Amino acid sequence: MTPNRHGTAVIEFPSALEIVTTREFDAPIELVFDVLTKPEHVRNWFAPFEDTMTVCSIDLRVGGKYHMVFVTDDGTECSFRGTYLEIERPTRIVYTWLFEGWPDAEAVETVDLHEIDGVTKVKMNLAFRDQAGRDHMTKFDGQEDSWDKMEDYLRSLLDPNGAVSGS
Amino acid sequence: MARASTTSDIFNAIAEAHRREIMDALMAGEKAVGALVNDLSMPQPQVSKHLRVLSEVGLVRCRAEGRHRMYSLEPVRLRPLQDWLAKYEQAMNDRLDRMDDYLQELQRQGELQ
Repeated sequence: MTPNRHGTAVIEFPSALEIVTTREFDAPIELVFDVLTKPEHVRNWFAPFEDTMTVCSIDLRVGGKYHMVFVTDDGTECSFRGTYLEIERPTRIVYTWLFEGWPDAEAVETVDLHEIDGVTKVKMNLAFRDQAGRDHMTKFDGQEDSWDKMEDYLRSLLDPNGAVSGS
Repeated sequence: MARASTTSDIFNAIAEAHRREIMDALMAGEKAVGALVNDLSMPQPQVSKHLRVLSEVGLVRCRAEGRHRMYSLEPVRLRPLQDWLAKYEQAMNDRLDRMDDYLQELQRQGELQ
């Protein structure tokens, strides 16, 4: 039994306009690619609950479009759509990304897959066109939070890989 | 061109690796520019430039001590970012964990057939 990888996504900000998320899966690259790109699979994991996914259409070819809609538990409809720019099965998918609530925030997401010894690493780079778009994504709602873990948090934020200290 | 809102400026400020190094160095306590130059082996104009950006968004505070200007961290200003990042990380992890569970389920089913 392989160890559970829950909660292991690594999120980084290589520039002011990019958000990079990296996650490993214990599955062969072909299967991971299918699960990312075939609607019959995407329906089973994209939304928090399967029955809340109301639209899941994917035309997987360069120039083809996708559209995904799910409804959150408070009834809000979340609609994402875009156009495929590059497809290199099973290692790379590039597509435009547009959340319908933010019409000026179009981004390009690049998904790179890489398998080593049965473990497939998926790296997703969401790159906004300009800061106005990125600002939607990082809009803070000012909710109060506990201060207790501030220092730990700050350290991990500044030095997620332990690489900065002592340099 | 209009300036971006203060909160997003914080995001912008920490997106730069050298600025994160400066903040990391300031976690140990208040420092003069010279000490930062020394600690980080970064040219002084560069350190000063980054300190100016960090000061503008309020992540770093500056006070005069004699002829020196002493810089210290103002981590309170990171709170909105902390809130956002915690939510974003949670949402991304939830989604990728669901994908992981589904992949494992598919493979279990494949083994059964």
